[in-house]
Amino acid sequence: MHTVLIIDDSDINLTLIKALVLKLGECTPVLFDNPLAALEWCRTSEPDLVIVDYMMPEMDGLRFISAFRALHGRDEIPVLMITANDQKDVRYDALLGGANDFLTKPIDRIEFSARARNMLSLRTGQKFLADRAEHLAVLVNERTREIRDREKELIFRMSRAAEFRDPETGAHIQRMAHYSQIIARGLDLGPAMEQLVLEAAPMHDVGKIGIPDYILLKPGKLTPEEFEVMKGHARIGHELLKDSGSEILRAGAEVAISHHEKYDGSGYPFGLKGNQIPQLGRIVAVADVFDALTSERPYKRAWSLDDACRFLEEGRGKHFDPLCIEAFLAGWENILEIRQRFRDEDVPLI
Amino acid sequence: MVGTFVLDRDSILERLGGDAEIYEMMVAMFLDDVDNNCSALSAAFAAGDAKVVQREAHTIKGLLATFSDEDGANAAMMIESAAKSGQLANLAAAIGDLQSRLHEVAAALGG
Repeated sequence: MHTVLIIDDSDINLTLIKALVLKLGECTPVLFDNPLAALEWCRTSEPDLVIVDYMMPEMDGLRFISAFRALHGRDEIPVLMITANDQKDVRYDALLGGANDFLTKPIDRIEFSARARNMLSLRTGQKFLADRAEHLAVLVNERTREIRDREKELIFRMSRAAEFRDPETGAHIQRMAHYSQIIARGLDLGPAMEQLVLEAAPMHDVGKIGIPDYILLKPGKLTPEEFEVMKGHARIGHELLKDSGSEILRAGAEVAISHHEKYDGSGYPFGLKGNQIPQLGRIVAVADVFDALTSERPYKRAWSLDDACRFLEEGRGKHFDPLCIEAFLAGWENILEIRQRFRDEDVPLI
Repeated sequence: MVGTFVLDRDSILERLGGDAEIYEMMVAMFLDDVDNNCSALSAAFAAGDAKVVQREAHTIKGLLATFSDEDGANAAMMIESAAKSGQLANLAAAIGDLQSRLHEVAAALGG
């Protein structure tokens, strides 16, 4: 259904044009005998075709067209101007001023129908293109989100693959990732960075996939040589994930290589100090250690929350970035909630 | 200078796409409005308002053209152009003639 706006100060013309518009079919005429009232209507309504008389008392057709075109989003809507056939100069002005076509008085039905139909099919084309563009934009957004979701799922499953060879659990990955996000929030890094931290943190131990079973699964204490091999998981993880086209995977590579660095330079693999350690690594170190301490393992009982907090406090400035410790403790309520949400017994896969 | 009005129903109907319903509606509206058109024109002329005379003459030109009255429409256009250039002085007779013409057309249309 097309909305056809008709503006003419003469009732007889309004009636005639309305009758002709109705004969076109699929059209709803909207009539105004006053161009100012018509403009007011156009502020909130969008016609598909405007038919406007040239000579009107309050505002002539030319001025109406320029005022109409100046309204937001009204620059493409077709406009037909009605002029007497002796007003050639007016027709030139109107063409330059934004009219798409003319009707001459006395109005001839055949000419009227042909011109009005042309204008309406122009409008239909415009709307089709606009709808299509909008539809495509929605579709692209949808597909992009699907791809991103799949990317996240694959990362999580890949991270779990590494953890499966380990006493650690899927719930550990979820908890430490969410703890990391709380720390990022406390550091005021912004929503995009918080999200990146949440998505990259699960990959911290993915390099364990490259550690031989006899070391990874050894029940007792590792020999110094075995421990050296074990440390290799940081580099292997980085090797697996580096140079990716995906921002999340690149962040994962950074997390993998730096999450065992310590603030005082006593960590591995590079012995980086303070802010030399990538921020992602400093964040994840706190989250990972806290969760390891407070979780039960076949070879150890879970530490109490108080003991784990004391350990973090004592490691402030030595093992851990003091700002990350503060951010972690500032989000304590959230930390407890995350602990409740992701328990070892029920592991949500995604 | 203006010949007798001869109602050419066929040519009017042809312009309206052969739609008798629209034709009847136009005739009824013309008959309803004709007195107003005449008095609006004289009032503007009496007040010396060239702009309104121009507009009223323009409206009448359109009405007469709708009913295929070329002579009448030309007479209205003459008044419209004169008023446009601000020359109302010698229009009294032409305006009287145009009003008679409107009534003549109205009578022919069945008023």
